[in-house]
Amino acid sequence: MQAQTDALPRRAALPWPPVSYRTRIRAWGVGFVLPTIAFFAFFKYGPMLWAFWLSFTSYDMMGTPRLVGFDNFTSIAHDPMFIQALGNTLVYIAGATIFITLVALGLALAVSQRVPGSRAYMSGMFLTNVMPIVAVCLVWRFLLHPHGLVNQMLSPFGFRRIDWLTDPSLAMGAIVGVTVWRFAPYFMVVFVAAIVAIPADFYEAAEIDGAARWGRFRHITIPLIMPQLFFVIVVSALLSARIFLMPFLITGGGPGGATRVLSMLVYETGFSYMKMGRAASISVALFAIAMVFTVLQMRLFMRGEED
Amino acid sequence: MVRRLPSVRRMLPWLAVPPLAALTLLLILPIIWMLSTSFQSGDKMYQLTTEWIPKVWHPENYPNALSRAAFPLFFLNSAVVSIAVMVGNIIFCTLAGYGLAKYRFPGDRFVLLAILSTLMLPLEVTLVPTFLIIHKLGWLNTYQGIFAPLLVDAFGIFLMRQFILKIPTDYLEAARIDGVGEFGILWRIIVPQCKSAIAVLAIFAFRDSWDQFLWPLVVVSRDDFRTYPLGLVRFGEDYGNPPTEQMAIAVLATIPVFVLFILLQRFVKTGFGLSGLKG
Amino acid sequence: MDSRTSPSLVGRRGFLMTAAAAGVGAALPPSVPRVASAQQAPTRAPVKLTFWTWENPQQRPYQHRRIQQYTQQFPNISVEFQYFTFTDLGKKVSVGYATGTAPDGFATGDWLMPTWLSRKLIAPLDVSLLGYPSLDAFRNDHAEAFVAGSIQDGKAYGYPMWFYGLENWANTKQFKEVGLDPVRDEPKTWDELGEVAKRLTIKKGDRFERQGFKFAMHAAQWTMVQFNPILLQAGGQWFDRTGKCTVNNAAGVKAMQIRSSIAKKYGAEDPADSLATAPIPWMDWLKERCSMFSAVPMGPGAIKPINPAMESEGYYKAYLMPGVTADRRYSTCYGFNLVVNSQAPREKQEVLHHLYRYMMGDLIDCWRATTPFTFARKSGWTDHPDVRNAANIDAIIRAKDTGVFLPRTPVWNELADAMHRAVQKVMLANGDPRQALDEAAAEVDRATDEFKKS
Repeated sequence: MQAQTDALPRRAALPWPPVSYRTRIRAWGVGFVLPTIAFFAFFKYGPMLWAFWLSFTSYDMMGTPRLVGFDNFTSIAHDPMFIQALGNTLVYIAGATIFITLVALGLALAVSQRVPGSRAYMSGMFLTNVMPIVAVCLVWRFLLHPHGLVNQMLSPFGFRRIDWLTDPSLAMGAIVGVTVWRFAPYFMVVFVAAIVAIPADFYEAAEIDGAARWGRFRHITIPLIMPQLFFVIVVSALLSARIFLMPFLITGGGPGGATRVLSMLVYETGFSYMKMGRAASISVALFAIAMVFTVLQMRLFMRGEED
Repeated sequence: MVRRLPSVRRMLPWLAVPPLAALTLLLILPIIWMLSTSFQSGDKMYQLTTEWIPKVWHPENYPNALSRAAFPLFFLNSAVVSIAVMVGNIIFCTLAGYGLAKYRFPGDRFVLLAILSTLMLPLEVTLVPTFLIIHKLGWLNTYQGIFAPLLVDAFGIFLMRQFILKIPTDYLEAARIDGVGEFGILWRIIVPQCKSAIAVLAIFAFRDSWDQFLWPLVVVSRDDFRTYPLGLVRFGEDYGNPPTEQMAIAVLATIPVFVLFILLQRFVKTGFGLSGLKG
Repeated sequence: MDSRTSPSLVGRRGFLMTAAAAGVGAALPPSVPRVASAQQAPTRAPVKLTFWTWENPQQRPYQHRRIQQYTQQFPNISVEFQYFTFTDLGKKVSVGYATGTAPDGFATGDWLMPTWLSRKLIAPLDVSLLGYPSLDAFRNDHAEAFVAGSIQDGKAYGYPMWFYGLENWANTKQFKEVGLDPVRDEPKTWDELGEVAKRLTIKKGDRFERQGFKFAMHAAQWTMVQFNPILLQAGGQWFDRTGKCTVNNAAGVKAMQIRSSIAKKYGAEDPADSLATAPIPWMDWLKERCSMFSAVPMGPGAIKPINPAMESEGYYKAYLMPGVTADRRYSTCYGFNLVVNSQAPREKQEVLHHLYRYMMGDLIDCWRATTPFTFARKSGWTDHPDVRNAANIDAIIRAKDTGVFLPRTPVWNELADAMHRAVQKVMLANGDPRQALDEAAAEVDRATDEFKKS
């Protein structure tokens, strides 16, 4: 591709500005991205930098911030609450990302089969995204009650009462479950849009060549939906890293802090305990985790993007 | 080359119907529960038995709930904000996604990372400085104050980029040779090919803004600009209000996103109707 | 007279008003505040105030109504009235202070007074503008527990609204069902409560059909309100003289054991099984899934919509909360105060005093609208027939008068969250009380250290 375009003659259609065709094209690229960058500079990077600066201060929102160097960071590194929240967040990110991706991909494959009514199933499953998040949390709190619908449906199978939300070893799993329920169908649609764009000839050719189902899946489907796979993994990880309302409204971080994730800790530290500086330092930790993860993912996935 | 499938194999797809249908039903059970509960009497919810079809219908939950606070106004406010956010995202994210997907310029990887980095800080921490910016602009308690910071979301940019990547660059180069301008390429080639991606983006942007709680809470202090999640949560705090009425409001809040979804879903194609078996 | 008025607030206009009020007031006993008919406007100039309060089905509409009546009487004064859920109100006010958009006046829980005071965010009140000749008169007219939180360094900072203690609400029909007498078998100690609750409990296999007694488990605020008296009754205290948290000493452990005894020792409570979606989980009691419950005052207005039979047949009764010993029974008392933003201009502060005095100026009117929530003020209402005839009024008033207040600390939120987690660990995860309390105390000490540093 690259070589082809370089071989194109220099266009003389526009005498000015006196730059090469290549550069003019590149300038367009920058131009398309510029409005967004400008917007972010004003509404995002400004506040983000302020937050970074704040992590080196002590600020209770009422007075003025007071510089304290790395005190916040050393303090949270020794704080059992931070360590617990950090652990919870990592578990949550891992669980949510893996299961959202697997379930979304599985559902997408099922729905993109040539099955009557597949459009109806896809639309139906997508409805989990249509409920407002506040309602999702309220409803699931009832459903996961010790005597709620979920346990009612499990009891014929011999399960005794399960305390989904009040047993510390289960609560996080329950929150991951609700998260998957909420987000997997959305990412399913993303996958479906990618899968159906794969021309059928590829599969037919492979079948003629003797490839089995699994082989076709591994060697045709997966590589051709790589961009979406990358997208789903990165985005579900970033969403999980930031998740707040679900644990907040469903378990309030309990029991005993078992579902307290970092963003909840940021919220409490900043708005309940009025320690914005410390809250900022916790979010810097969260930022660092997310950044490391994303860079790794970019290394992994973007190698295949060279044109 | 279309192969005639043996008659047994032609029946196979139908075998997939029951499990798929059951799976779909299972997934949407909570929504049906919400719908059913919204028509129950207030104390039904506390009996913890599930009655899918209410024996006694209470449609008055809906007008009762709506009258307890200025919910019609709250819904209107949410709608204005969410439509603005949806349109803003469609425009900006398509532009930026295209720029990042099909143009190579120095630092483009870094720009992508920088854009993704806006998703890495929790909202709570950037809340106060964003609030200050809106305050300085004089936009507190206004529509633009609520939707301005939400107009572009990195999620959308990334989504569009990944979809546009798949469009073969040959088309673009051919169009360039034909003299179609860069913007023309975007408008006439990219956008039509990306309809499903744009639909998916529109739904996500609208729904994300529709759900927003913390930001509107901070930026709005007056009922005339309050969005419905604030009203809904406040409604729940008033323990004199039956939770079934809260469910009624939740059901009403589901409708706009549902309608949007119905309108846009025809852009998202599934496997049925296309030739050949997949995967 | 004027030497005791705060010179920073009262200008010449205020002096005249105070003098006039003093003249009128001379005819009445000094401890009784003048009924704020408030015929005289505090100022003729147009004034715009912002006032924020929290959502409560009876209390918020009452405040709104009084404010509307006030602005009708004084059309030059307009009040922008906004309300939020209780937790959100704290957030909004904090962000408001941080960005210069905080309201001129707002309502706050009295346990948060140290939070505002330690950061000098609320202004000292001029008690003369509230109808008291002196601070002592103000102090003597209000319940001690309220005063302790509102008065600091010889100045008052909060003007009280409702103020109440918790009672043990019992379903007398269920008592009789199991052969208990609602009068004779009133549980006076925690052990007695456990025994009574055990008899009232009905279980079907693993599942509780009816729990004998329930504690609220859903919010840190409630955990504190319930644990506070048990800790004090057991001889413990929240902080020692040096400010170290002592909730994990022997008395604290004993208190935690008492707290968990109903569920663990007597098997009369299931902490995981509550209709825990209402903000105050009294739904279990109202739906007769539990026989006794520790709750704030409830009146027919609250009971009738949910359980009309209970209200019409009257088979409920309020007891005092039990004690470790039968002679020392008390609950926590807490209330809500009206406060003034210290950054508000002087003129607005003055008008706020006037407004506040009017809002709480007719306690009988307030009582009728918000029965049976009691008030911190001692005078002007307790002898009225509407009060005397209210159901369970004796227990309610005694709970208020004998109650103990919540610990006054600027790290209240950290303390509440730490205790909430500790109780969850013990009740839901079978944790060891000593260990859970050790962790909580360590958290609180860390928070105190952080606070001292800033």
